[in-house]
This record gives sequence, C-alpha cells and structure tokens, in this order.
Amino acid sequence: MKVVYDWLKEFVDVPVSAEELASRLALTGTNIGGVENGPHGAVIDAEVTSNRPDCLGHLGIAREVSAIYKTALKKLPSTTGKLEPAVGGDALQKVRVDIQAPELCGRFTARVIRGVKIQPSPQWLKERLEACGVASINNVVDVSNYVMLELGHPLHSFDYDKIRDQRIVVRRASAQEKTRTLDGVERVLDAGTAVVCDGDGSRVVGIGGIMGGADTEISFATKNVLIECAWFDPIAIRRAARALRLHTEASTRFGRGADPEMAGAASRRSAELILQVAGGELQNGAVDEYPGKQAARKIRVTRTEFLRVMGADVSDKELEATLGALGFAPVRIDDHRGAAGSLLAAWECAQPSWRADVEREIDLIEEIARIHGLDKFPPRLPAARAGAVRLPHFEAEARLRERLIGLGYREILTIPHVAEERDELFRPSGVAPARLANPLSEEAGVLRSTGTVSMAASLEWNLNHSQRNARLFEIGRQYRLVGEESVETRVLSIGATGEAREQGLYDGARDFTFADLKGDLDAIGMLAGGFRWEAKASDGGNHAEPEWLNPAKRGHIFLGKEDLGVAGQLSRRVADKLKLRQEVFLAELALGPFYCAYYGTKNARRYEPLPRFPAVERDFSLLLPEGVHFSAVAEAIRALAIREIAAVEAGDLFRGRNVPAGKYSLLARVKFQSHEGTLTDAQIGEFSAKIVAALTTQLGAQLRASV
Amino acid sequence: MKSIETSISKKLSELGVADAEGLAPLFAEVRACFDAELAVASDEGSWKLFRDAWLGRKAGVLALITDNWLKPASPELKRVVGAALNELRGHVEAKIEERRVAIELGAESSAAARDAVDLSLPGVVRPIGSRHLVRQVFQEIEDIFVSIGFSVVEGPEIETPYYNFEALNIPEHHPVRDDMDTFYLELPKGAASPLLLRTHTSPVQIRTMEKMQPPVRVIVPGKVYRRDNPDATHSFAFHQIEGLAVDTDITFCDFTGTIEYFVRQFFGASVKTRFRPSYFPFTEPSVEFDVSCPFCGGSGTAASGGVCGKCKGAGWIELFGAGMVDPAVYGFVNYDAKKVSGFAFGIGIDRLAMLKYGIDDIQVFFQNDVRFLRQFP
Repeated sequence: MKVVYDWLKEFVDVPVSAEELASRLALTGTNIGGVENGPHGAVIDAEVTSNRPDCLGHLGIAREVSAIYKTALKKLPSTTGKLEPAVGGDALQKVRVDIQAPELCGRFTARVIRGVKIQPSPQWLKERLEACGVASINNVVDVSNYVMLELGHPLHSFDYDKIRDQRIVVRRASAQEKTRTLDGVERVLDAGTAVVCDGDGSRVVGIGGIMGGADTEISFATKNVLIECAWFDPIAIRRAARALRLHTEASTRFGRGADPEMAGAASRRSAELILQVAGGELQNGAVDEYPGKQAARKIRVTRTEFLRVMGADVSDKELEATLGALGFAPVRIDDHRGAAGSLLAAWECAQPSWRADVEREIDLIEEIARIHGLDKFPPRLPAARAGAVRLPHFEAEARLRERLIGLGYREILTIPHVAEERDELFRPSGVAPARLANPLSEEAGVLRSTGTVSMAASLEWNLNHSQRNARLFEIGRQYRLVGEESVETRVLSIGATGEAREQGLYDGARDFTFADLKGDLDAIGMLAGGFRWEAKASDGGNHAEPEWLNPAKRGHIFLGKEDLGVAGQLSRRVADKLKLRQEVFLAELALGPFYCAYYGTKNARRYEPLPRFPAVERDFSLLLPEGVHFSAVAEAIRALAIREIAAVEAGDLFRGRNVPAGKYSLLARVKFQSHEGTLTDAQIGEFSAKIVAALTTQLGAQLRASV
Repeated sequence: MKSIETSISKKLSELGVADAEGLAPLFAEVRACFDAELAVASDEGSWKLFRDAWLGRKAGVLALITDNWLKPASPELKRVVGAALNELRGHVEAKIEERRVAIELGAESSAAARDAVDLSLPGVVRPIGSRHLVRQVFQEIEDIFVSIGFSVVEGPEIETPYYNFEALNIPEHHPVRDDMDTFYLELPKGAASPLLLRTHTSPVQIRTMEKMQPPVRVIVPGKVYRRDNPDATHSFAFHQIEGLAVDTDITFCDFTGTIEYFVRQFFGASVKTRFRPSYFPFTEPSVEFDVSCPFCGGSGTAASGGVCGKCKGAGWIELFGAGMVDPAVYGFVNYDAKKVSGFAFGIGIDRLAMLKYGIDDIQVFFQNDVRFLRQFP
C-alpha cells in the first residue's frame, strides 16, 4: 500500500516529516518498505500485515497516525445534499437489488448517476493514482480506485444501461459457470463463488468482490452509471480468488476483511467525486441491502490482564487515548473509577466495524502495547523452573560425530528432495517413497528413501568440482511411506572417495579401500559394543541385498541381532549412471538402535584389572584353501577354549608367487595371557600344538611356519 | 709440558729443595704449565690425551710428582709436598672436568645446528573432519538456551495440516497460508489426512504442549520446507530453532529479556535490540525482532565509507518473528488461557549463519563442497 504523504494529511495533521512518520509507523506495527520522494511528494511504502485490511487505505493509516501522535482525525467535507436519504429515495425506482446468497454477500449498496460524461480524469486524480501505482483509465473508473485507496473499500461501477431489467441479483455461481471478466479473460467459476448478475439472474455481470464483467463495463459511450459498493465474506473471497488464480486489489481487501459499514460511506464519497469529475445528476438516495449487519461487539480489557500478559503498565490516560483514537471508545466500568492507575481498572470497548481482527481482550492489549512501544517494556530473564534436558540421543550423537570427525570425515547437510530415478537406484525393493504432490521440479520430486542417494550426490558434486578426495558423513533422516503414514528414520550416511592418505613429505599416497571403510565403521561400532559383519542380510530384515553395491566388496552390519545397514563399494553400474569415474564407498546405518546400544554398552562397561604377567605372542603362518575365512580360523582357535588365549588377529595376507593356486597365505597372530603367572615355553608349545592340530584337521590348513 | 719435564722426573733432593720455601715455586711452575696447556684440550680426543698426560696412573704428571717428589721426600717434607700435591690435584681435576663439560656442550650445539628441524615444513598431516557450519550454529544456540533452562525436543518433518496450521490458529483459507507455500505428499486415495512438509518448527509447540503441562521451556531445532524457487537467499529446505516458554507467570518482559540474552550471547554484548509489532496467527502480541547491525555497529555506514552491505544502510537487521503465544493456541492443547501465558519464537539458522560468517549464497550450505566444509573446522 503506497501512502501519499499529502493525501494522508487530508485526514489527519501529521506533526513530523514523512521519514520520521515512516520510522514511527514501523515501530507501531505498520512495516515500512521505504520512503520515496517523487513528483507527488513523499510516498511511504507500507507493507500492511494481512490482519489489517483497514490500513489498505489512507484513512486507516491516518487513524494509526492519530493514535500515535494523539491528534484528531479530520472529517471529509460533503459537497452535495443529494446523498440523503442514506437508504431509499429515487434510487429505489432506478434499481432493484436481490441478495440470494447472504452468506457470501453481507451488504450491497447501489447508487445511480445519470448523464455523466466519460472522459480522461483531471490531472490531480491521475496524479494521486499514479503515486499509488494505479493506472488511470477514465474518470468514473478512476473514482472507484481513488475511493478504494482513500477509504480502503473496493467499489465497482457498471454501465447502468447495460444492466438488464434494472435489476441486480447476487447469488452463488453454479459449478462450471462461465463469464468474461473485464480483463477479457473467460473464467470458469465454482459453486463457492459469489456472482453479481442482472435481469433474471442468469447473466453474470461481475465476480463479486473480485472483478467486474466485460459486458457491463464503463466505456466512453456510457451515459448512466450504477455504483456498486458491497461487502463480501472474506473466506469465500480468498477461496474463490485462489481457485480462479485471480488476485486483484478488490479481492485482497475483501479477502482480508473489508469494513461493512464503510460500504455506505464509500458509495457516497464515490458519488460525490463522480459528480465532481464527470458531471451528471445523482438520483436521490441509495439502495442498501444489508442482511449481514451486525451489532458492535463489546470487549473488556482489564489492567490485571494487561499486567499478566505484558509484565509492565501503561497509564490510564495513555490507554484511553490510544484505544479512543483507534475507535474502540473505551469506557471505565470498574468500581474504582476515580482511582487513576487502579489495579482493578476495567474498560469496556466497542469493536469498530473496520477492526474485525480485534475481538478479544488480548487483541486490545496488543493495540495498547504496540502504540505504547514494545521496547518500553523492561526486559528480564524468566526463572528456570526445571532442569534443562538435551535430546535423549544427544550424547550418543555427539560421541558419534566426534569420532567420525576424528576419523577424517566432514559433516554434510543435504536437502532430502531428490529425483525419483536417483532415489530408485538406492531404494530397497518393496519400499514406498514419499513422493511430493506438488514438487518444484522433477529433480526434486520425491523425499529420499535412503541417505545414500544424497551422499552419492554430494560426492558427485565434489568430483565434478575437481575435489577428488572426500570423506563425508551425514546424520539425517530417510523418508518413506507405509500405507498412508509417513515414517522418518534417523540414519547415518557415510561416503568416501579418492585417497585415504594424500602424497606428503613423509608418506606416499594411498587410495581409500574397503578396508578403510570397514575400519572406520568398526571404530564407530566400538561405541556401541562392536559391529558384526555378515555377507548376507538377515531374513526378513529391511536391508535386502543392495544391488547398488559391488557384490565383491560389501557387507551387512549388525549390532547383536539388529540389522543396522550396509557398507561397500558403489557398483560399476550405478557409478556409471552417476558418471562417477573413480571408486566410491558408501555406507548407511540406522541410528535408533545404534544410539540404544551406545547407552547400553556405556552403562554395562566395567573395569577389567590389568594383567600382572607379560603376554606372549605366537604367529602361525598358514596356507588356507580359498573360501576359508579368517573368521573360521579365529573360531577354530577359540573353540579350543584355552583360557590363556587373549586375542586372535590377522597379521598378514598374501596370494600368488609361492602360494599355490586355490590357496592363500594368512598369518594368524595369537596372544597368550595368563592372570596366574608367567607362561612357560612348554605351556606355549602345548597351546600351539593344539592350535595347529585344530587348524589342520578342521580347516585343511597347512602350517608354513610358526614363530 | 716440556718446561717441567725435567723437574718432575727428578727427586726433590736432586733439585736441591729441602723445605717448603723451595717447594712453592716448583708447584707454581707446574700449575702455570697446566693452566697454559689446558686450552689444548679442545675436543673429545685431545681432551682424553690431555687428561691422560696429567692424570694418567703411570706416566701422568701427577703420578710422576707422586713418585719422584712425594714418595722419596723426608717425612717432614712429605707432609708439605702432600698438601701441595692435593691442592694441585684438586685444581687439575676440577679444570679437566670443567673442560669436558664445555666440550660436550659445544658438540651438542654444533650437532643441533646440523640436525635442527625446519619448523617451516609441515608435520605429518592426518585427515581430520569437521562439523557442518549449520550444525555448529545449531549447537551454539542450543547451548545458550540450555544454559537458561530450555530443554531440547524434536518433531517430525512430515506433518499434518492440523499441527502445521490449524492448531496454530491458522485455519484453512487464512491469508498467512498464502505466505507459506507448502509441499504436500502424494498419498494413496482415501488417506485420512493430507500430509505436508512442515513450513516451520512451530508444530512441535503443539506436540510438546499436548504431552506436558506447564512449566514448558523448550527449543526445537530442525529442518523446515517452503515451496520457494531456490536462489541466493532462498532454499526450499532450511533450518529453524523454535522456542516456547509457557508458565503461570511469563510476561512480555520475560520474552524480550530471553531474546536479548540470546542475542548478546550470540552476537556480542554491544548489539542493541528492537521489537517491532507484527502479525502471526499463533502469537499475540506478535513482533518482528531486529538487532543493530553487528557489521557497521548500527550506523548503516560500512568501514570503507559506503553504505553497509549487510543492513543496506538501515542500521538494523531483521532477525526473526516471535511473540506471546496466542490464547487461541492454548485451546488446542487444553491449557487454561486464563492461567498460563507464554512466548514463542522461530529463529532461521541459515540466515543467522550467513549473517555471522558473511555468506552470500544459501546454496553453499547444501552443496557440501569440501572447500566450503574445510573453512569451518
């Protein structure tokens, strides 16, 4: 809403410059876009909030000024006596109005002026409209716009002679009913829309409160004018405007709630101005159908409530002056009327017709407070009443994040909107994605059903921007639909590509491998009691074999029986689709069970006394048939149930050269430790013999050497 | 040593010395000789030779003096020779030890000069990760509010219109819904309720109050979504922290005090605050909250003299919307609006991070370029 400073002054004395006024308005609730000094003087760009349709006219802003500076509003001079009576008079013979949908149209007034001369508007009128950014059309139409900008109430003028039977019918549109609006567009209506019709009510001559029709438009041939000044239900208008995708100055004002009482005044003002700029003769009086008339609501405000909400006081005098200037006509009604500042003071106010937004005591409190100045209320800190609690998984997540960062991973945050075809690459079969009904684009058409799809995209971004080495993690959510319910699951996604170690002064470069990924994940797993790796998913688990991972380099991660997720190297097929030209490693874990296990492990952890005797290590260099895994070796050794065996580790792995085909060489390192005494060579020898025997007989291992 | 070689190889009697008086010059000469030759011991090798020449058990100067002067001396002279010899020995031993220490130190410092590390070279670089900047800001803000008694809660990002709008006093067709362009999910036909991506973290206000009775002090960090076309200042996903305090004695003054405390902790004590009346359906009174521009100190003029780019010359930066909880909201959660009052706010994290760290494109937060991530370790 553009507020012309000089125009404003026609309604109220403004004791300050436009700039100063603008900053005061900003601090009392009218947001200010800026102040421009142009050919029409200062124009303030007021960004009026949607609850204040009354400020979409100069009069409303003037009322704010009046409350801020406590200066009285001025009355507009009336120039003709023919406006009376307010209802009835000759106008009744000239037009009949029938409101058939009073729930959509609460008031409809009509006046008729005969013998106007349609011509371009005089300069002053053009200039005012121009200052407000409204195009000048002709004198009669311009008056409608002028009055709307002045009083905030939309009007419409018809060519009276084109209205059939001198009869107006306001009714609900029928579904699929068509009409052409004055912008020349044919509109298809629905049953929630109010339409203004003529004659028998079959022809639509305007979409009520939104836009007039083309058939009855004012033209330069128009002689007689019918002025419509009505009131339409805000919800119906908003709904209709959205359905029609037709947002006009009128629909904005009616949609936010125009002042039904203003319809009469705006009609008079409009008639007056038409007579002034277009001549003609006004038919006495007006038609005024007003089924929606309501008595003013009474609202009480008390000092106790003001203090309860605001925490600091405003004087009686200021409170009354503010509410008075805003039109609430406050009257002290408590029994302590003589006592200024009484804690028991109460006022009864009348809700003005232009303030549909003020219905409750709290609304009045806001009015008093905002005009008083919100910065005048002294700040203080409320007392804490209970201990502050972090999210239940706060500690587990912090430890996880800290560990990942220590391992060299950088945290990322992504937008979960992804392309359906991307999501499909990583989505387990049988999972229903959360698709958007109204996406901005196909690239962002579905919420990711896995974290890995975003992780792959982030690696892709880096590779495409010449950042070849990246280790990333995201603690985020995956989104899925189960039936009509949405399910959001916390997941950790990990992605790595390029070098695990870059070429430096002291060490050579080394590529990131599956072993790096596994080691890093196991370092995380330690927080929750240790991960178990399996080649296959558990039956009925929610992680089917992930086809997006290279089958030779992937694994399922378990915590106890819980299937947490998968890790591995991105398959060639998917890498090619994403045009990733180097090896990429990805992992995704469900965090809920991980966090649970974190706390469980932490609480169960107990001190283990340090051994008092030295440990002894023995290496067993084994030739094993391919397919016999390290886990089998460790298992066979552990199955011997030798108490002194403290650890079994893989020391070295070798294939080729001296190793015959179909076999591989593995160095198993066994650590012996006794809590009772130092182990003797004889004891170690005995243990070793048992181990060798078990490995040879059970696994077909050949001993190359033991040290 | 040549100068004394002759005298120490002879007995005292041969030298014609029979009393202490004649002895003194002899010892003085030996000592002078020692002092003069000490400098010869300049490194470890020459020091060893020098030490052996003087202290050697068989042929050292002191051994010779013992053999030639002391042992054959008459009993009365022996005492005097013994005393003089001990004094000489003390001197020689002390000086030779002194010399050793000096030589070792010297060797060390020259070795140090040769082997010293070049401090301008890097150490072994181990890869180290980083927290995302938005996460860092989240954490900082959470810590501030936790320190004044606010607990942290979360809620779903996929919401029903009830929690996102209705229960927040935004009925259908409310004009405010037009300002929050909303993503909806595609659901199977006949679904009971539409689902949407929450447009703010405020639904968690309702979810929290449904679960607990006052006193309530919570903050809600999370992702929110608005269907805006992305550009440098808009992203259709961004981050918010919601705050809610409801109690029997919360007033507007508690609200402004809490916000001021937060801002001073976050931006620094010199920042000024300003509350402007505004409108949100779920708060009343509603405010927009401004801080004096931390970059130009509120003057509107940049250090270079031009208009401050951060506040565009206004001296103030609009930070977020907030207000006292509208009593209508309490109706949705069965709180007695006559007995409780409270405040709520919603802080845009991305914008705050952009302001604080001078980031001019919100998209960098979501591209995750490692060159960006590296800048905020």
